[in-house]
Amino acid sequence: MKRIGIALAILILLFSATLLHSTSIEVFSSDLTALLEAAEENAEQGDWTGAKELTQTAHKKWINRDFYLHITLRHSETDSVYMAFREVSEFIECQEGGEYSAANAKLIAGLELLAEAEQLTLKNIF
Amino acid sequence: MIIAFVRTIILYLLIIAGVRLMGKRQVGELEPSELVLALLIADLAAVPMQDFGIPLLSGIIPILTLLCITMIISVLTMKSVTFRALLCGRPSIIVENGTLHQKEMAKNRFTVDELMEELRMKGITDISTVKYAILETNGQISVLPYADQKPPAAKDMAITIQEAGLPLIIINDGRVLEHNLKLRGYNNSWLEKQLKAKGAKSPKEVYLLSVDEAGQIYFAPKEIQA
Repeated sequence: MKRIGIALAILILLFSATLLHSTSIEVFSSDLTALLEAAEENAEQGDWTGAKELTQTAHKKWINRDFYLHITLRHSETDSVYMAFREVSEFIECQEGGEYSAANAKLIAGLELLAEAEQLTLKNIF
Repeated sequence: MIIAFVRTIILYLLIIAGVRLMGKRQVGELEPSELVLALLIADLAAVPMQDFGIPLLSGIIPILTLLCITMIISVLTMKSVTFRALLCGRPSIIVENGTLHQKEMAKNRFTVDELMEELRMKGITDISTVKYAILETNGQISVLPYADQKPPAAKDMAITIQEAGLPLIIINDGRVLEHNLKLRGYNNSWLEKQLKAKGAKSPKEVYLLSVDEAGQIYFAPKEIQA
């Protein structure tokens, strides 16, 4: 019974850890998405400095969790989000309204999809 | 490339631990759950080992999960006969008193050719001499011939044979195994006498020397290399 207890404990631990991961990714993604949406509102009102600050905050938050994201998510997905951040930052620098809006929407969608793919749903299982 | 190196070591150790936990049977006779584990585990380890774009955790988590499930299944299999029957199935009698159980063979998708092959491998050519042929849960066939078809044992013939016991290797490729020598109750002077009697000047000239419990010696001198 000791063996079965250890095996069950490891299984529960793995399940809890993966569940915690999916929740954490969802919260993290929502946080970044909110910042990027707020940045877009600022840009629409002509406040490019405010948009830049909010986007940079979101980017810093992403970079701060880079190690965790890199070991838990597919590297191609984390790389594409990183590239999208760089693209959005460049459009803010150039103050290109339309292109910034499109790139920001792409980045937000990427973050949402990233979190969605980690959720325990039937759609994801099958 | 260092990533491939480190990943290979981690996954290799993990698989070794898993196979070790499964016991010796993992190498030979596999139960269904063990076979599935063996099939899956190699693939799960190979993917993150080769594709650096996939996190190592994508390999480790499924492998750990598989090992835990297999451990739980193996404990349940040991504890419950019903569970064991459900997971591993029951042995099927395909030949009984020299008669083929065709329904049982069809149920197990076991052909006559396969049966004949198995019987031939066991030195049996005539099905009518088989009392029982049982298809075991691991896919092996146990063949039990009629009592009058079995080769007679020394006991059946009322012959007394001295038990030779387990032979221990005393000299292995020129090296004296002191532990085995002491275990047999001999010493170096006894060994020297034996070597002299066999025409060897030193243990280095001996390829194999073993002694069984009855004191029977097997001696093989080293072949002279050209």
